[in-house]
Formats: sequence, structure tokens, C-alpha cells
Amino acid sequence: MSHQVKGLKEEARGRVKGRARSGSPPTGNRLGRRPSSKQAPKAQGTWGRRGAQRSQKECAGDSPSPGAPQRKQTERRRLREELGKQEPSKAEGTSEGRRKRDKRSSFKEQTAPSKKEKEILRKEKLKRQKKPRSSSLASSSSGGESLSEEELARILEQVEEKKKLIATMRSKPWPMAKKLTELREAQEFVEKYEGALGKGKGKRLYACKMLMAKKWVKFKRDFDNFKTQCIPWEMKIKDIESHFGSSVASYFIFLRWMYGVNLVLFGLIFGLVIIPEVLMGMPYGSIPRKTVPRAEEEKAMDFSVLWDFEGYIKYSALFYGYYNNQRTIGWLRYRLPMAYFMVGVSVFGYSLMIVIRSMASNTQGSTGEGESDNFTFSFKMFTSWDYLIGNSETADNKYASITTSFKESIVDEQESNKEENIHLTRFLRVLANFLITCCLCGSGYLIYFVVKRSQQFSKMQNVSWYERNEVEIVMSLLGMFCPPLFETIAALENYHPRTGLKWQLGRIFALFLGNLYTFLLALMDDVHLKLAHEETIKNITHWTLFNYYNSSGWNESVPRPPLHPADVPRGSCWETAVGIEFMRLTVSDMLVTYITILLGDFLRACFVRFMNYCWCWDLEAGFSYAEFDISGNVLGLIFNQGMIWMGSFYAPGLVGINVLRLLTSMYFQCWAVMSSNVPHERVFKASRSNNFYMGLLLLVLFLSLLPVAYTIMSLPPSFDCGPFSGKNRMYDVLQETIENDFPTFLGKIFAFLANPGLIIPAILLMFLAIYYLNSVSKSLSQANAQLRKKIQALHEVEKSHKSVKGKATARDSGDTLKSSSQNATQLQLTKEETSPPSASQSQAMDKKAQGPGTSNSARGTMLPASGHLPISRPPGVRTDSGHPPSQTHLWSASGKSAQRPPH
Amino acid sequence: MGSRSSHAAVIPDVDSIRRETGFSQASLIRLHHRFRALDRNKKGYLSRIDLQQIGALAVNPLGDRIIESFFPNGSQQVDFPGFVRVLAHFRPVEDEDTDLDPKKPEPLNSRRNKLHYAFQLYDLDRDGKISRHEMLQVLRLMVGVQVTEEQLENIADRTVQEADEDGDGAVSFLEFTKSLEKMDVEQKMSIRILK
Repeated sequence: MSHQVKGLKEEARGRVKGRARSGSPPTGNRLGRRPSSKQAPKAQGTWGRRGAQRSQKECAGDSPSPGAPQRKQTERRRLREELGKQEPSKAEGTSEGRRKRDKRSSFKEQTAPSKKEKEILRKEKLKRQKKPRSSSLASSSSGGESLSEEELARILEQVEEKKKLIATMRSKPWPMAKKLTELREAQEFVEKYEGALGKGKGKRLYACKMLMAKKWVKFKRDFDNFKTQCIPWEMKIKDIESHFGSSVASYFIFLRWMYGVNLVLFGLIFGLVIIPEVLMGMPYGSIPRKTVPRAEEEKAMDFSVLWDFEGYIKYSALFYGYYNNQRTIGWLRYRLPMAYFMVGVSVFGYSLMIVIRSMASNTQGSTGEGESDNFTFSFKMFTSWDYLIGNSETADNKYASITTSFKESIVDEQESNKEENIHLTRFLRVLANFLITCCLCGSGYLIYFVVKRSQQFSKMQNVSWYERNEVEIVMSLLGMFCPPLFETIAALENYHPRTGLKWQLGRIFALFLGNLYTFLLALMDDVHLKLAHEETIKNITHWTLFNYYNSSGWNESVPRPPLHPADVPRGSCWETAVGIEFMRLTVSDMLVTYITILLGDFLRACFVRFMNYCWCWDLEAGFSYAEFDISGNVLGLIFNQGMIWMGSFYAPGLVGINVLRLLTSMYFQCWAVMSSNVPHERVFKASRSNNFYMGLLLLVLFLSLLPVAYTIMSLPPSFDCGPFSGKNRMYDVLQETIENDFPTFLGKIFAFLANPGLIIPAILLMFLAIYYLNSVSKSLSQANAQLRKKIQALHEVEKSHKSVKGKATARDSGDTLKSSSQNATQLQLTKEETSPPSASQSQAMDKKAQGPGTSNSARGTMLPASGHLPISRPPGVRTDSGHPPSQTHLWSASGKSAQRPPH
Repeated sequence: MGSRSSHAAVIPDVDSIRRETGFSQASLIRLHHRFRALDRNKKGYLSRIDLQQIGALAVNPLGDRIIESFFPNGSQQVDFPGFVRVLAHFRPVEDEDTDLDPKKPEPLNSRRNKLHYAFQLYDLDRDGKISRHEMLQVLRLMVGVQVTEEQLENIADRTVQEADEDGDGAVSFLEFTKSLEKMDVEQKMSIRILK
């Protein structure tokens, strides 16, 4: 049977594999909807986590809310123990062991009759009820859902118990505090559930309540499902995760997170700057800054011009220059310049906050887990299948994800067991680092060279398209070819792929950083040049206007029509130029990414797939499909975001473009990865928190904050464009608002606050606070580590005890009988004791102790039936091993067996 | 209401089944419905082929093992009590079940019995141990040919190594229980509707 099964299944696997490898068409189409996200209960990142947990819960089998029954269970157990305690005081016990036995047995004897009594009681009660009530009861129980008969009986029983407890509370030998809490609990319980047994109204109320509670639970579950379904792209990401592993999925989760952040930024900028300007600001063509100059007018609508963000686009609300410096606009008297400034600041503020917050939450999540790495493989082996899967596509995904997770564990395992020549590794690593440093220096010089050249080109007239775009082209080429080069070199280093990814990320980061800063320096040169020219242009403008209005030859009596805004000479508006530069870079970056994917991944996959039929060797075998380039994509995303942060102040529309870009790239890359990539050769598990990505992002955020802050603080704004024109510095708008819109004393307070004498101590204070918190966290983590060590040591001690005990029992039980019924009762008792935390170990130990006896018997039957155990071993011999509870089980079990005959 | 009671009358030995499995009347009726729906030729019992129709079992790598578990001792058919008895392993653990009655055998849905059921699925030759060989077979079912044979063997070795305590190269039931100690079996091996 099983062989046949195996064959069948393997065939099925083969088919699946063929599909997975066969590239585009089949897998690409498989992004359809799945019933729910039950496949891979694993997710990193902030967005994914909640949903994943939920789905895990879903997989976990839907038993009704686990909390309540457990609580009740413990309550009952406590009660039972109390009863047990009471009992011995009445009965006389001679020896310790006998006493314990007594306690058990008497408890048993006691519960059974009490149960019977209750049965009778209940029946009597039911009889006493009038006809309608019993019928309603019957209907409710046959109606089934709201209140079944068993449930009722159970509650009745519990209420009785509680009542009893309340009555006997006074005579209990407990401390007062315990009595009080017990009493309160019992009373609450009785109050809550007595309704169920009460007369007509109370009963109906209770039934209603129960019904509502059930409905509420169901609603909550449905709502949670709904919430999981609402997480965008969850299905796509799960799909990718199951085929490509968590590392690739981590990129997509990061992308999704980024999209969320950008949506917020988009809302901020569009809601507070662009839309007010469009709705309430002066319309296009009313003033020079909002009009295309006469010289450009003919070509302003050409596509080539628009594509470079010149022409009409340049004079639109997407760019800084379009905004007017009117203090208030519209009937709302909206203070646009102020809003513009504040939004620019809060874009950075929000981004910083969200990045740091998600980093913090990631670390918190990762420290809570601790190390539960025992039994990794056993867990995967025995529990990875989700038995609720009934859909064959979901099953395919699950197969893939199990395979992937196994592969991940294998890689981790191999890495931890690796031994090799340390000197060779070191040498290779140094060599690799040297080579990569050379590459980085080379590319840095290349960029420097190109930027210099482009400055020359910009002075010349009629340069070719290549010469104009040389910087962008070189940077894109570097970004395209350096990462694979680094990856090749990094193969020398032989790191674990996760560590390797981090190194790779760091190196590419350095490369991109070089690019970015050269680009920025070039841009700064440009800005300074424009600023130098500005003074002369300003004079020209004044001169023109003056001449226009005061020129002779016009009829003095008729007032002259104002000069058409398109004819007014104007400055170069360096802010808009900067914005356009960022806009171009973003768009070209996006296009390069997409084209790379299309050419490098998709076409390659198509080629391999279809040329394989008529090729000399098996193309799919060796170097065939592309792997998904995690590091390149992550860094691309991060740097793109850096551009957005830098550029958004001078080009408010940039965020909108970026939102579009992220949206398309989500779909496009999801498709590309599923259709034309193969999983990494060594699939590895992403680190639980993607804090490394976040750290890079934070660094980039900080770096992009610098140039923006520099331009805002130390460069004068253009005289004739933008919301801050005419001011000496951009931040003067703050001062202006404070002076004009706030009462004077507030202005004084602000002036006082801005005093360096106050700011420097404040900064010092912050440093001190950071230092203090840092040292506190260090000491806490140290304490944590120490506690962990202690726990481990305890564990060790226990293990050694166990092995000693196990041997002892093995000797004992070697010749004992085995009887399954005994065994059942025995284990039952063991189980009963499990809930106190300390007892769980003893339970395990107990089992261990029985282990050798069982392993040779057929069906896990175990345990010594006869009562000779307690006799042959005087009590207290093993009590000193420090595990009294286990002792109890053995005694009680055998005690029971000893007592059994009389029954 | 009347129809329900008539249904209940159809089931033979309702009371004894109830006592044994702990199912409520309503769910027994439901299960009987299901039983009859699976039994396509109205034979009064289920054969392996009947169970193989279930979609969730068809895609499950261990589906055949699950079906096999319905047919203890190599019999070819399972009647309703047997059917219910297997399903009783998946009844959620409830409050009342902790009310231990020592004279009764342990309920079928106890943690131990649940685990034992799971153990059976892996124990192909029913010798009370999951050997390395059995593990390899299950692994092949689960991950197929995407992982090389060598790696599969590695996994099996590692699993045995993790769980094996007495050094016999196989996982006994106790070791199995131990390795899944942290797993919330009571929850996971419960089907909500089987109350």
C-alpha cells in the first residue's frame, strides 16, 4: 500500500516541480485567489505579522475560545484539591504514603457520590420546574446551539460546588487574603450562572446571554478573517514565500510597508499642499511664475519636453516654483507658505518616527521569542502539514513551503556544523574585501569624472542626448553591473547566506551612497551657479518692468495694460531645477529597474524555456533561470526612498509618482518573481526582524535629511518663484507667522526658546538621557542573559537527575506486568497534575522513567501494574531527588491499583 | 424536532456510542449524516475507496495513512461506531472531560490519545516506534523530489537525533510525546464542529 502511495505521490511531486521549474506560463497564472491564507503561517515584518498569526490560529483548529475553559479547569482543579485537603483531616492517615493514597481514593469516592447526588438534585429540580420550562429546555437543547443539556448540567454542577465553597469558606485553614479572593470568585461565578438555573426570566436571560456570547465569538472570528483578507497582497506574498522562502518574501513585505509609508506621505503632501493650491491658489497663467515663458511656449507641449519634466509640467503644482508667496490664499485664508514649510518638515518627522517605531517593535518581538530551537526538525516533520487544507492548489503551496522550510533548516544546520580551514577563509575574505574596495573606488572615480564632464557639457550649446544624460546612464549601469560583480566576489568569502546578504547589502549601499553623494555635489554646484546668476537676472527683471511702465511713446491718459506674465524675464529658480532633477532620476531609475527585470529575468527565462527544445545541451540544468536579487532590490527600494525624501520638498508631486511606482513594482515584481525566477540554491530563513533593512533605511533617511536641511537653512530662496520668494531664508516663514498670527508674548517665548543658551543645554540633556537609557538597557540585557544561563543550568541538572532515575526505574519495572487499563488510569492521573508549571517537568520525567519499560512493548503500553512498587521502595527514598510530584504519581497510581480489588 | 429524534433512532447503539466517545446527540446525528453521505452504495459500512473521495485527504501527504487509521487490524470496512471512534480523537477537549472518573477508560480525545493517533500515522509498521526508514518515507511524501535523497536522510537523522533519548535509533511514543511537548496538541488536534 504505502509503496504504491509513495509512487503516486512522487509522481505528483514531480509534476509540481516541473511546473515550478518550467517557468513562466503555468506558475504565472497561479496567482489566483485562494480560499484563505492558511498556507504558510510565517511572516516577517510589521504588516504581515498580525495576519499571519491570525492565520496560524486558524490552522490551529478552531476550538472555541481557549481561555475560558482553561480558567474554569484550573478553578475546578483547585476546588478538587481543596476537597482533597479537607478529606484527610477527617480521615486518619498513618503514614505519609498511606495518607496520600487515602487522599486520592477518598477524593475519588467523594466525587463519585457527590456527582450522583447532583444528578439526583438536578433531576429533582427539573421535575420541580413547571411544564413550559422543561419544554423550553428541551427545545433549547434540541435546538442544540444555544444551550445544550450537558452544558446546563455542567454549569449546574459548578454552581453547586461554588455554593458549597462559599458555605464552608469560614472553616478553611487559609490565609485571609486567599479566602477573600476565593470568596469573590465563587460569588461572581454563582451570580453569573445562577440565572441558568433560576426561574423563567433569569433562565431566558441567561440563554440569551449565552447565545449572544456565542454569536459574538463567531463574529469576532469572522471579523479576524476579514481583517486578514484586508491585508493587501497577503496572498501574493504568501505564495512567494512558500515557493521562494522567507528571505524573498521579506523583500516584498518591506515593499508593502514602504508603500504604506508613502501613502501617508502622499496624503500629507497632497492634502495640505497641492490640493489647497490647486483649489484656492491663483490659476495658471495669472502671474509669471505660473506661466510658461514666451521662449518656451511653442515647444511646451512636446512629448520630448514633457518627458524631461520641462514645459507645462515644470510650471505646474508638482514643483516648488509654481507656488505663490501670498501669505494667505482663498476664503479659508489658508496659510500656504507656512503649510508648505510645515509639511516639508513633517514628512521627515513622520518618516523618522515610523522607521524608529517599527525598528523598536521588531526588536521587542525578537527578544520575546527566546530560544526554542530544540526539536526543530521534529516539529517540522510531525506538525508541518495543515490538515484543514482541502484545496489542491493550497496543498501545492503547502508542499512548496514545507520543502522550503526544510531547506532553510538544512542550510542553518549545515552552517552550524561547518568546520574548515580558518586561515584560508580569512585570506579569502581579506582578498574579497580588497577587490570590492577597489571596485568601489573605481566606480567612485568614474562618477566623479562623469560629473565633471557633464558640467563642461552643460556650458556648451547643442549637446547630444547621450552627453546630456551621461551621468544618469553611468550611474544606472554601475547600479546594474556592480552588484552581480560583488556577489561573484562574495562567493569567495563563504559566509552563511544570511550574513552574506548583509555584507552584500552593506557593499552595495556604499556604492549607491557614493553615487548619491556625487550626484548631490554636482547638483549643489549647479545650484550655486544659478544663485550667482540670480542677482543679475533680478536686476534685468526690475529694469524691464521699470522700462515697460515708464517708457515714453505711450498715451499718458490711458493706463497701460500690465505686461503679460509670459513676457516677464525671470530667474532660473534653482529649487524647481533640483526638483526636476530628482523627478528625472526617480523615473529613470524605475524604468531601468523594469527593463532590467524584463530583459534580465523574463527574456532570459523565456529563452531558456523555449530554446531548450532545440539546444545542444540542457539549458535548464546549469546556469539557467535568474535568482531573485534580494540585496539589489532592497537597496534600490531604499535609495529610491532616499530620493523621495530629498526631492519631496522641491517637488511635492514626487511622492505621487513614487506611490505609483511602488504599486506597479509590487505587481510587476510579484509576477516576475513567480514567472521567471527560481528559488535560491540555498534558501535561507530571513532573520526574524528585518531590522537590517530598517537600519539602512534610517541611515538613508538621515543622509537625505542633511542636504535638505542645508538648503533650507543656508541658501536664500529664489526671488521670483516658490512660496518663500522674497524672504531671506526659507524658515523666515515661521518667524513671520509667529509675529503676525500669534499674540506677542508667544513670539517672545519663541525667541527665548531659540536662544542658543537654551538649546545647547537641551541637547546636552538629550545626550545624557540617551546615555542613561543605553546603560540601563545594557544592564537589563545582561541580566537577561544571566537568567537564561541559570535556566539552562537548571535544565542540565534536571536532565542528569532524569537519566539517573530512568535507569533506576528501568531496573525496577523490568519484570513487572503490563496492563493497558492500568496504564490508562495512571496516565490520566499524570495528566491531571500537569497544569502547575513545576509539574510539567515531573510529568515528563515520569514518562521518561517509564520509557525503557515501554519501548520494547508493542503499543506504548506501560506501567507496572502491581502494588509492589510502593512496598519494595520505602517512601522518601526518592523524594530527595527534588521531584516530589512525580513521586506522588507513582504512589497514587500504585495506590489506586492496590485499592482497586475492593471496588 | 420530530425528524431529529427519528434520525437518532436510526443510529444503532446510540447510547453506547455516546458514552464511549463523548459526542453529543446532535453531533452524532450530524456524523451519521456524513457517514451515510460517504457510504455511496448504502452498504452500511465504509470502505477505503469511500474515504478516498474526500478532497482534503486526497491532497494530504498523509492522507492514506489517515484512511488506514480507520481500518484497524487490516479490516476492509468500517461501520459507524468505528468511524465515530476515530473521529472522537478530534473532539475538542472540554471542561467536563477533566472530571476524571477512574472507572471509565481515558476519553478518546485526551492529549495522550490524540498524540497516539498522530503517532500511528507515522508508525507505518505499527511496532510502536518511528524508525528512520519510516521517517524517510513520510518525508518523501511531504517534500517529494525537490530535496535530494542525501538531504532527506540528513533530515531524518537529525529528527531521530533530536527526539531519540534511549539511543535505539527510532522514536518511540514517549519520545514522540516529549518532542511535541510544547505543541498545543489539545487545540490543534481538535475540530470545532465535533462537540
